Amino acid sequence: MKSKKLSEKIIKTFKSNGFVLSEPDVLLDSEYIIQRSGENFRRSILAFENEDGKVMCLRPDLTVASCIKFLEKKSKSKIYYSGQAYRRANKKGSNLINEQLGIEILGSKNQLKDDFKVIKTILDSAKKTKSKKILIKVGDIGLFKKLINSLEMPERWKLRLIRHFWRPNYFEELLKRLEKNSDIDSVNFNTDKKRFYEMKKMKQEQLIAGRSVSEILKRFDKKIKDPRSFNEGKKIVKIIRSFLEINCQLSTLDNKLLNFAQKNNLEKNIFKEFKSIQNLKKLNQEVKFITNFRRDIEYYTGIVFEIISGKKEIARGGRYDDLLKSLGAKKNIPAVGAAINLSNI
Amino acid sequence: MNNRITIGLPSKGRLKDKAVEFFEINNLKVLQNEKERNYFATIKNKPNIKIIYLHAKEIIQRLGDGTLDVGISGLDLLNESEKNLQDTINIKKKLNFGGANLVVAVPDDWIDVQTIADLEEVAFDIRSKRNTRLRVATKYPNLTNKFLISKGVTQYKLISSLGATETYPFIGSSEIITDITSTGKTLEDNNLRVLEDGLILKSTACLFVAKKKALSLQPFLNSLE
Repeated sequence: MKSKKLSEKIIKTFKSNGFVLSEPDVLLDSEYIIQRSGENFRRSILAFENEDGKVMCLRPDLTVASCIKFLEKKSKSKIYYSGQAYRRANKKGSNLINEQLGIEILGSKNQLKDDFKVIKTILDSAKKTKSKKILIKVGDIGLFKKLINSLEMPERWKLRLIRHFWRPNYFEELLKRLEKNSDIDSVNFNTDKKRFYEMKKMKQEQLIAGRSVSEILKRFDKKIKDPRSFNEGKKIVKIIRSFLEINCQLSTLDNKLLNFAQKNNLEKNIFKEFKSIQNLKKLNQEVKFITNFRRDIEYYTGIVFEIISGKKEIARGGRYDDLLKSLGAKKNIPAVGAAINLSNI
Repeated sequence: MNNRITIGLPSKGRLKDKAVEFFEINNLKVLQNEKERNYFATIKNKPNIKIIYLHAKEIIQRLGDGTLDVGISGLDLLNESEKNLQDTINIKKKLNFGGANLVVAVPDDWIDVQTIADLEEVAFDIRSKRNTRLRVATKYPNLTNKFLISKGVTQYKLISSLGATETYPFIGSSEIITDITSTGKTLEDNNLRVLEDGLILKSTACLFVAKKKALSLQPFLNSLE
């Protein structure tokens, strides 16, 4: 009962900030979810086969379920949700059923305003439920991308580091590989060059296991021309590591980043665009910035944050501009949202 | 009755012949039932041993549920099975036959794809350009999943296959495959190529024992070489 009262309090705050209830479907097509979240996620969903042989699952997450609802044009763009999500966890004894309570702003282009609105609303509702000291931790995946793009290394390595930023263990493995310059791609192309010239004479639009000849040749060509080895590995890894150690109060962030850029001979203005974070100064709240804000969820694309009360995380969220596209939208649709962690309140 | 031992052996092909040979080398002569296709056999002068011929995959299952005490089957099949099942079975001995590799293979003409790192890039490419996932056909979904995820390949979808997996990339059912191969000839003949670092598992036939029986059968198992 206690939690019901709490939820009501929180929902009241959501409503007074203009968020409208969205009631996403409980049953979803599981292929849809796997397509989005990857094969490894199959183990986490609670699925069954319906009479047509289609595999359906209970919604594993209300953000995803709400986005699907939005794409079906059945919800407004500024929504809140409250309900159960169902997911199997690897840990024994963890709950199958999770109460989720959160807000999303979908399909609005006013990034700065929306980011602030989401954080402010979540913060206000958190404050209503907790008296302990509140701290906001914030990061921005965009800053990491900017750093990587400013460093001298082959394009493929840049993309690889950005792609795997959200997977701490594998990311560390990549850094080690980069450090030792043991780029696994350094293979001998001689045998394939012959085939390359033969394939050039083929019909370029012909498909080989789903990829066109021209696509294969283009990538092959790019691969040979890409610098195959670079001696800067150690230095680059050092820069990345020291960047990921930046943790500071929001008020000192500007200076920190500037010093970092100077010390590592980077261009002064590489980090200039992070207004969403600067904006948080308006909250009059302790805000701590961390660069190494990593999650096991890959869908965040910009600002990410956690709200901590005492020692517990009571809410988290961020911007995820690619999620709706991965759920089938024709183009990228901006989205930002956050959820309250009820079990920690 | 307590000293009865039920042994499962593969019911077909080279694996069957080699398994029977393994017992014969150990002076245990396998006596075939007079009906040629009967699935039961005995061992000469060992009335307490019963042999059942089963599908290699089934041997793992039956070791798990206690039907079999001992069995010969592939390491690949044990490792592919669910963890609960694996926990009930001990590997007593790796045998010197039935060697085969579980590998990741791509079409020969994907000349730009030589390593798993390449594959990871192509998978992301397919994902971002077409909003679909690279399809991987396999008879080994668990091992394939574990391997690909550990190598940073996340953007794929498994297509389960029961056989002739090598055809999948060329009939539009998947883009690449993982499959078990001993000589590589079938892959080669079907215009597929193993990635340089695409070895998922080096498999071989093994002598397995149900964990519950491991202690009481130790003397018998140790006598096998």
